[in-house]
Order: sequence, then structure tokens, then C-alpha cells
Amino acid sequence: MKITSLLVLKINPDGSDPIILANAADVSHFGYFQRSSVKEFIVFVGRTVAKRTPPGQRQSVQHEEYKVHSYNRNGLCVVGFMDDHYPVRSAFSVLNQVLDEYQKNFGDSWRSVSADGAQPWPYLNEALTKFQDPAEADKLLKIQRELDETKIILHKTIDSVLARGEKLDSLVEKSSDLSAASQMFYKQAKKTNQCCTIL
Amino acid sequence: MADHRPVVGAGENPLAELELILESDPLIDEVGFIHPTQLASLSGEEGVDAPGPKNPRFWSRDGKLGISTEVLLPLYKEARRAFFDAVRDFRTRCGSGGDGGDGGVGSEVMKHSRALLLVSSDFGTAWNSRKLVASKEESFSMYMDELRLSELILSYSPKSDQAWSHRRWVIKRIAGQTSSLPEIIMKESELVEKIAERSKMNYRAWNHRCWLVSYMTKERVMYELKESKTWAGLHVADSSCFNYRRRLMTRILEDLCCKDGVSSVDYSFEVYQCWKDELDWDEILIKRYIGREGLWLYRRFLSLCWIRHFTTHAHSTSCNSNYIAEQTTDPSFFLDKELDLVGSSLVVQDDHFDDFQAQALYSTTYILWLAKQMPSPLEIELRQRLTARNMNDLLSEFCPNSSFLCGSSAEDTK
Repeated sequence: MKITSLLVLKINPDGSDPIILANAADVSHFGYFQRSSVKEFIVFVGRTVAKRTPPGQRQSVQHEEYKVHSYNRNGLCVVGFMDDHYPVRSAFSVLNQVLDEYQKNFGDSWRSVSADGAQPWPYLNEALTKFQDPAEADKLLKIQRELDETKIILHKTIDSVLARGEKLDSLVEKSSDLSAASQMFYKQAKKTNQCCTIL
Repeated sequence: MADHRPVVGAGENPLAELELILESDPLIDEVGFIHPTQLASLSGEEGVDAPGPKNPRFWSRDGKLGISTEVLLPLYKEARRAFFDAVRDFRTRCGSGGDGGDGGVGSEVMKHSRALLLVSSDFGTAWNSRKLVASKEESFSMYMDELRLSELILSYSPKSDQAWSHRRWVIKRIAGQTSSLPEIIMKESELVEKIAERSKMNYRAWNHRCWLVSYMTKERVMYELKESKTWAGLHVADSSCFNYRRRLMTRILEDLCCKDGVSSVDYSFEVYQCWKDELDWDEILIKRYIGREGLWLYRRFLSLCWIRHFTTHAHSTSCNSNYIAEQTTDPSFFLDKELDLVGSSLVVQDDHFDDFQAQALYSTTYILWLAKQMPSPLEIELRQRLTARNMNDLLSEFCPNSSFLCGSSAEDTK
């Protein structure tokens, strides 16, 4: 039961890569040398999923042992990296809460933001710590009724979110979010995740 | 410890370089294999004037050691060769009767096997030669060094069976010879939790913790139960962790039933209370995390032991009955509570994620399983209650394969 990261992004109407408005991540449970790669991947996958979440939609994407949940509210998108076991309903009530808080704090000023991470936002880190326990998120669930309105779309792999003809491998190769080390990390992980290579 | 050291003077031999780093910084607690570009950027952060070689192969700072993936293969080959040479020397020296003065050769074996294990964690021969050398020396500090090395290896290979079993070997060797055993056991237990946080579903780590239980004192067992509760509550999918709780709970029952040990009324009440708390806590989790099989399986264990040891209908299996007689409960009360729980789990609120269906299925199999395991008078009572609550149809709906179980209940009640 773990939230690794929460991101708030601005979706560009012209279809270019979304801009990261705020980003909180807890990578302490990763090995020291993996942490920088993990952070890069969070940014990369976060952008990839957010870009493909149409306005008004909620979706959950399974990516390895993670579930990436995302919710796009009129161009303002929130993405959460939870592990497989974090209850989906609780996850979306956290996302909802984050968006509410964001709009309370910044209003519509995000529409004019044009670069990553321009607004520091301590609340996101607090939320990341607090909602590690899904019981905290469930307290929100009781007040949020809005959740039931739209159905959550589940994707079994990140590839199923991608448009026809797009491939994760080639996105990884092209991405400027990922360093050479991270790309190697990705290839290695892919190799070891294949069945029966070691055992 | 000096801060950073792209080591100079070790020449082209990566093994010598690695061993020099390990020798000079005994506080290294984490190893990682990293891409040359990452290594270069790490070295780059330390300033342009760093006196290291142009092409660094190692990086170490603040107790972290990074090894370039490029150097792994030559390093492994070199380490393996050096290790087998050292072992051969060691054998001949021991064989020729010079077992007293083997310090030099023994330390060569230790030195090279350490480097070898760092790049190949499951190299059984290397672990075994370490055991051989350590058991000849019989020094406490050497055994502590073994625990440290194993921890270092677990930092990058948390599921290495050899590394875990090496720890058990060390503990067996020092048990009864040192007064600091309780402290060591405590640290072991904390280590498992730390590693479990990093690597999910780590059976070997939890298995190690289960093994530790037999070395724990009564008080420690109670303490562990309390301490690991929060963690378990946040990792309900980790069955191994519930298996560990099962081991702890079994242990407190064993302590209670232990014939020669004098268990006080106070202690038996404590155990009773602990068991009751555990059942209540499991119920809270079941209601919070819908459709988790592990929680229901854990409940099977808790309920069955509860019926056997803490209810008045319990048959001969209950031990120490005079102590707990005062606190025993009416089994009917317990059955009602369980049926309430199962009844509420059969309500499917929505079918978005299949979790309510799973919950209904697990609760059904839970209650049917329990019925089969209970002493027969209780089973009949349970079946009557199921019929009275009109739950049989619901049960067979969620668990069609159980019809033969439900069917037998219909016959019983006729």
C-alpha cells in the first residue's frame, strides 16, 4: 500500500507534452542508485498518461507493479502513482482532493504557466505523506459524492493507453525526460520481467 | 570516513580497487550496479578537480558503493579466480597441520569471497568457505562482520536465499554464547521490516523473521505483535507478513499451553485479550480493504483457534482451561458475530472493480470452511443459523462449487 508520487499537470490544448505544475515523490523505498531514474520515470510516465487522458475522464493504467491513476478536469490533470494494492476508489478520492486544493490555492493561474515546476506547493508533499494510509482517503470518500458520476476506465497495460502505432519502447527512446542510465534501467527491467530468464 | 574516492593507484585491476574501497570504508551499507553514464554524472558532481581516473569504475560516498556495469564481468572473473586460489592455499595450509597460524590465508579467503559475493550473491561455495573460516576463528566480532556483509548483499539482492540463511547460521553459532542475543534478534527483526518495505512479497525475508520467533522472549513476542501491526495494516496484500503474525500468535498460544512453564492468570488474560483484538482488527481491515483474500485466510486461522481455545464448547484441545475458564465466551455469540460479518460482505454495492464479488466469494468460502473445521455440535448450530438467516441461497450463488457443502447443511437441518 504505497503512494510513490502525485503530480499536477497542465494539458496543452495543442497536443504538445503536458507541463508539470507540481510534483511530489517519495522514493525512499528504492535503492540509492535507482532513485534518480525512478524520479525521471515518474515524470515521463506521468506526462505520457496525462497527455492521453481526455477532459472529464478518469483512468487507471497498470504499469508493472504500479497503478497510475489520472483525472483530467478541464485541462488541469492530476496523476497519482500508487502500488497495485491501493484501493482504486481511495486513489481517486485523493486525486479529487488534490485538484480541489490546487484550484483553491492557485485559481486559474495555471493556464498561463509555460514551464515545468514554476509553482512550489508544499501541500502536495503533505498529501503524499498523509494519504499513504488509505483509511485517510476513505474519510474523504464519504464527503465526495461526485466520484460516482463518471466511470473509471481501467487499462491493463500502458500500451493500451497509447494511440494506434505508438509504442512505449520508442517513446522511451525519444523522451527528453529520461537519461541514458534510466533508459538502460528500463531495458534491463523489461528483460528481467520476461518470464523465466533467471529462475 | 573520507568522503569520496575514485581510487588511484590500484592500477588496472578492478578487484584490487574494489577490495581497497571495502577495506578502507567498513561503513558501506548499500551496493548498486550502475550505468557508466550515471557513474560519470555522480563523479562529475564532486567537482571537476576530482583526482580520479578518467574512466571511473567505482563510486563510493556516504556509505553507498556504486559499481559500473561495464566492469562487472571482468571483476567477477578476477574475483572468482582469486577466491579459488585462496581456498586452495587455505586447504593445503590446514591440511599440513598449520591450523593455528592460518590467519593470513584465512583472511585472503575472506577478502576475495567478499568481493565475489558482492557481484554474485548466490555463490554458495563462497558463503560456505566463509562459514569454514569463521568457524575456525570463533570470534564474536568476525560473526558480526558476517551479519554486516550479508546485510550489504541484501541491500541489492533482498531475496538472496544464501544471504538470509548465512544470517541464521551466524545466529545459531552465537546463540548461548553472548548476552547480546536479544539485541541482535531485535535488530534482525527490524532489518526484515526495512527490507520488506523495499521489496514486496519477500517470502525469504519474512521466513527469516518467522524463524527468529523461536529465539524471542515472551515479552518480545508481544511487543512484535504490537509493533508490526501498523505495517501489516498498510500491506494487506503481503501474505507473508500475515504469516508472520500467525507465527507470533501461535507462539503466544504455545507459551500459554506450555505445561512446565508457570503461566499466570494475568498472562492468560493478556493472550485472550490479544486474540480478541486481533480478530477485531482483522474485521476492520476486511471492511476497509474490500476483496482481500489474505485477510480472510488469516481470519480462518484466528477463528478456528478462537473456537478451540477460548470458547466453552471447545473439546479436549483446549489446554490450561482452568486459567482461561473465567474469560471464555459463548460460542453462539461468536458465531453470530461472524455471520453478521459474512452477511454484510455478501452485499455487492457496485461491480466496477469486481472487488465486492471477490469479497462475497471469500466470505462464503470462509464460513463454509469454518463449518467443516468446527466440532460437530457447533457445525450443526452454524448450519441452523445459516438456514434461519436465509443465507444458504446467497452462499451458493457466490460460490457455486460449494453446493455440496450447502447441500449437506440442508440435510442436517431436516
